Amino acid sequence: MIPLDPVERDAMAAEYVLGTLGAGEAREIEQAMETDPALRAAVEAWQARLGPMSALAAPELPPPGLWERIERALAPPPEVVALPAPKPRAPVLWRAWALGASAVAAGLAALLVLRPAPAPEPRLMTVLLTQQDQPAWLVEAERGGLRLASLNPQPVPDDRVMQLWALPQGAAAPTSLGLIPAGEGRITVAPAAIRPEPGMLIEITLEPQGGSPTGRPTGPVLFIGRLAPASGA
Amino acid sequence: MGHLALDPGRGGMAFSAAPMTAALDLPDLLGLVAAGDRSALRSLYERQSSRLFGIANAILRDRDVAADAVQEVFLRVARRAGQFDRGRGSAEAWLAGITRHAALDILRARGRELPTDDPALGDEAVSPEAEARLIATAEGRRLRDCLAALEPKNRFGIILAFVHGLSHPQIAERLGTPLGTTKSWIRRGLLALKECLS
Repeated sequence: MIPLDPVERDAMAAEYVLGTLGAGEAREIEQAMETDPALRAAVEAWQARLGPMSALAAPELPPPGLWERIERALAPPPEVVALPAPKPRAPVLWRAWALGASAVAAGLAALLVLRPAPAPEPRLMTVLLTQQDQPAWLVEAERGGLRLASLNPQPVPDDRVMQLWALPQGAAAPTSLGLIPAGEGRITVAPAAIRPEPGMLIEITLEPQGGSPTGRPTGPVLFIGRLAPASGA
Repeated sequence: MGHLALDPGRGGMAFSAAPMTAALDLPDLLGLVAAGDRSALRSLYERQSSRLFGIANAILRDRDVAADAVQEVFLRVARRAGQFDRGRGSAEAWLAGITRHAALDILRARGRELPTDDPALGDEAVSPEAEARLIATAEGRRLRDCLAALEPKNRFGIILAFVHGLSHPQIAERLGTPLGTTKSWIRRGLLALKECLS
């Protein structure tokens, strides 16, 4: 629990920066900072006060090869067109999956429809980036839905499909917003289950035909971005 | 970023690396990293990895684990460089903050099981060389003066926590003081620092 009393809150911000909070409390502070500008300012002020102490640690050459490791970890995902086929599954599982998948697909198709909503809202947008941080899709929130425009269309293997997901802040798992029809450069989705909000993560993953069989992303993340208010909005 | 017409992030990065980024300051490099420029990230690594590895290893006291932490730091920097705001502090401080939190995350995930009975633990952080690094900046000089005004045990407790990632119980054990006393000393020390630095 983050205390309400300003003196106690400031003390907790100080201990967060000092590093003496436990894992749970530290996580609480990090989450609260996203929505609490005053707490964020308190943490930043403590970082400014205590930060210079970092100079007390003696610089040390990292082990050789570390940059190469980092570069490999940053490496682009395999080319979309060259993705290996999914591993064969046991027949029984496969049948169950196929049945479930068509039901999922039917539900997903229904979501890919513009749903008009009257209330105006702050304009939210993001650009989904590839793993190399290249812009791939422009996403704009509009009347409770999302409008997507492809900036740099890439082919998808015949047996795969792109699936759109949203992860509201604080949610444990992303919600599927539907499949992106092959070759479609502009789509509008009107998710019933979630509303676009600042900080919401939007991602597109590569999934088997019919969409993820599990209801969670299973394939590689192709594109990702976080909704934020458009400047000047 | 207007003056940096460097065509960030597109082909030929391996060639553009050193010569083109050599004249850039760290905030410029972070701007390029935010635009996806891998060579700028490499320049950042070349300039900052020793300092950041030192910060991580002071907390983790294990070079292999500290290397993991620094790897995580540069992955985070690649993702979050766009969040750096030069109006809110130096790039050095921003990078050090990311490094400390990456190292502390690892430490917490392991239940802070690192031994703290090394009698020399913390000595390096109060050596004349360390003090010389601290007072190399104006903020560091002010902090040094304010730290010097604290009770020695308060000061050492705060340094053990900040520089070496020690928890309250570990600091209490190290200083041979009861846990409750240690906690309130550190808290009072932090308040005194805030007062002194304001």
